[in-house]
Amino acid sequence: MSRRFNLVLTGVGGQGLITLGRLIGEACIRAGLNVTVAEVHGMSQRGGSVIVHVRIGEGDSPVIPVGGAHHIIAMEVLEAGRSVRYANKDTVMVVNDLILPPPLAKYPGKKDVIEALKSKLGRVYLYDAEGVSKRIMGTPISSNIALLGFSLGVNPALEDLIGKTDVEKAIEAIFKGKALELNMKVFEEAFKEGKASVGG
Amino acid sequence: MNPILARKGETVLLMGNEAIARGALESGICMAAAYPGTPSTEIVETLSEVAKDLKIWVEWSVNEKVAFETAYAAAISGVKSLTAMKHVGLNVAADILMSSAYAGVKAGFVVVSADDPGHHSSQNEQDNRWYGFISHIPVVEPSSPREAYYYTKESFKLSEKYGHPIILRTTTRISHTRQPVTLDEDLPESPVCKGVFEKAIDRWVLVPGHARKLKMKLLEVWRKIQYDTGEPFAKIINPGMKDVIIASGIAYSHVEEALRILGLESKVTVLKINMPVPVPRKPVEEVLRNAERVLVVEELDPVVEKQVKSISSELGFGCKIYGKEYVPENDELSLQVVYNGLCRFFDKCDPSIWESVGDLKIEPTIPPRPPVLCPGCPHRSSYYIVKTALNKAGIRNVIFTGDIGCYTLGFQKPFETQMTSFEMGGAIGVAHGLSKVVDEAIVAVVGDSTFYHAGIPGVINLVFNKGRAIPLILDNSITAMTGHQPHPGTGVTAVGEPTARIMPEDVLKAVGFETYLINPLKVKESINTLGKALEEFKSGKNIAIISRARCALEVLRDARKTKTVLPVYKVDPEKCTGCMACVNLSACPALVVDPDSRKPVIIEDLCAGCGLCASICPFKAISTANTPSQDWEKLW
Ligand code: SF4
Ligand code: SF4
Repeated sequence: MSRRFNLVLTGVGGQGLITLGRLIGEACIRAGLNVTVAEVHGMSQRGGSVIVHVRIGEGDSPVIPVGGAHHIIAMEVLEAGRSVRYANKDTVMVVNDLILPPPLAKYPGKKDVIEALKSKLGRVYLYDAEGVSKRIMGTPISSNIALLGFSLGVNPALEDLIGKTDVEKAIEAIFKGKALELNMKVFEEAFKEGKASVGG
Repeated sequence: MNPILARKGETVLLMGNEAIARGALESGICMAAAYPGTPSTEIVETLSEVAKDLKIWVEWSVNEKVAFETAYAAAISGVKSLTAMKHVGLNVAADILMSSAYAGVKAGFVVVSADDPGHHSSQNEQDNRWYGFISHIPVVEPSSPREAYYYTKESFKLSEKYGHPIILRTTTRISHTRQPVTLDEDLPESPVCKGVFEKAIDRWVLVPGHARKLKMKLLEVWRKIQYDTGEPFAKIINPGMKDVIIASGIAYSHVEEALRILGLESKVTVLKINMPVPVPRKPVEEVLRNAERVLVVEELDPVVEKQVKSISSELGFGCKIYGKEYVPENDELSLQVVYNGLCRFFDKCDPSIWESVGDLKIEPTIPPRPPVLCPGCPHRSSYYIVKTALNKAGIRNVIFTGDIGCYTLGFQKPFETQMTSFEMGGAIGVAHGLSKVVDEAIVAVVGDSTFYHAGIPGVINLVFNKGRAIPLILDNSITAMTGHQPHPGTGVTAVGEPTARIMPEDVLKAVGFETYLINPLKVKESINTLGKALEEFKSGKNIAIISRARCALEVLRDARKTKTVLPVYKVDPEKCTGCMACVNLSACPALVVDPDSRKPVIIEDLCAGCGLCASICPFKAISTANTPSQDWEKLW
């Protein structure tokens, strides 16, 4: 591949973005692909904006150019809005149905942000990842895995690169015991819901 | 299994810092010492996780100077070692760094300096490659996380070859990027862990007579490294072209991709540099000889550029050399920044290459999200308590000097309890100095780890030189900012073994402070205690305050592990008047106000149950929503 596939992961510190980045990195190894997973965040991760740049393909330069993302996974609505500068008109975006406003700030409502996103991008999916995670895990802790599963379901370009089994092997490498079993379920369920939402 | 222990031939996903740890282990280190600091922390953190299994010594020292001294002592006794710190940490260790170049080492010794271009988590973005010149210690710089693994091993080899310390300089983007690394060696069966200290007085005792002689030897080593070193620290790609790019460290990775996009790979000679200080002479001379135009691409200061220009003028070459005209001198580089520089240099630009859809236009705009104190963070309560107590005692316009740690976030509204923040331990020294020149009361805020790091000399000086300031130690019993490393107040070592516990109150008492210990979870009680303390202060006594409760992240982790139910709070919409006191005074991220609503709600998944909002609410509208476990308070 001469051009690299650029995947932006964005959200709020503490939401499991770093784990998600690692998981995709592990999946790439299993798919036989080179990858760089760069964590970009401010002072530690204490509730600030976090963005992880995943670049799949040959090359070592780790940061995605503005306008260069092929796919964006946003774990929070306001951060989805902030990350849109990385998007071009062909970018696919999957947004977690969750808003976490910073303290003491004025902020736009969830619907307004999603509408604004849809006016800019052809393909924006709002997905209740917390719902799936809570249903299966009892906590929103696996929303990150759900968003990855859903993303693979709705974006064939991403699924062509790292297949479902590559991700499953990566989940096996990272989790153990009960957590492994439940995370697999979350991934499977979200993948199906992704497929269903594009009529697949 | 920990990926750091994988076998030869396996491909593992490693963060740059983990790659360095693995490289050091393969090189046979038996000692690593550091003080945590972003972006360097994970190097020694990774090593501490495997230290016991591998039977090597790994420690968190109280500061970088002590860490350096510890690791260096091993290296002069013949035991390979590593010390790691963030760029500003090397300032703390600079004294011993200089001397180490004179005396050299008996076994491989690598000093990792993790620089932070773009100041993602630092007070400045200083380019530590300059330290190589001041100290005459070569600086090795990888171009990717994968190369961080490789060049760690090369650094150890170089150090062994010349009996000289080596600085391995990384940057945030390498330290914190993960990449597949194929391991090309197994870990040594039994690294050398026992050394012999040879009593070579004329080498280890740097009195002027000895140092003068050592300096001659040092310069000899320096010149050898400069003239004898080529591959693997410099590599000429596609030689013989008139246009030359010289790229150092991570800049090379950006250049490589940008040239591919521009389709210029076969038209340009690239000199990849992995030792920016001193730049290897021969390969530089070689590419300059045929060159017409040269562009030096490097992150931050023109360190390589200056050397290339000087070599060129020394040898009378006619080529034109550019650098910072095309590549910015501040902030970190990226593919995009380098691409823009190159396409200007070659006059070959495609403006549509990455076409962003631009920012969202929406009202109100998306608010910035700076890092904040976590829900339940005890610092939030401590700040509220101290400010309320000062106010009650009639002490107004207080100056809060600050320091480095999570609590630095207290500079933000509504707390505004950090008015300075320069370097580790600075709060107390600055408070002392201010107290000599201003009339306001001064509170010097410092965290527990920072207190051990560099705060103790400050409190001694404060008493000795009759300064007037109140040290406030925010003791969450861990080095929280960098990811929860133990320190002398935790009672455990880096590898989790029990050890002596040294309490700040004992140190403060010994030095001459009357010390008041409060529990920030008990808001009202603490305000009363401080009322008394502040009366003592007003009557001229030296007082110090320690506010102790564990980091909320640690408490939440332990609650999950032990299946302890912590309290969760809720707002009763009937009683709530919408006064917003809770939101405005606590700024807890778990308390949110929907744009369409006038009353706050508490996000259950975020609330850590500290109870601060409940004690702030004047209308008693906030109370627990569940039945917590009986002994939940013990976790704090
Ligand atoms: S302080 Fe009490 S009354 Fe005021 S907004 Fe908060 S919950 Fe409501
Ligand atoms: S919502 Fe209240 S009780 Fe919960 S963490 Fe925030 S301040 Fe503490």
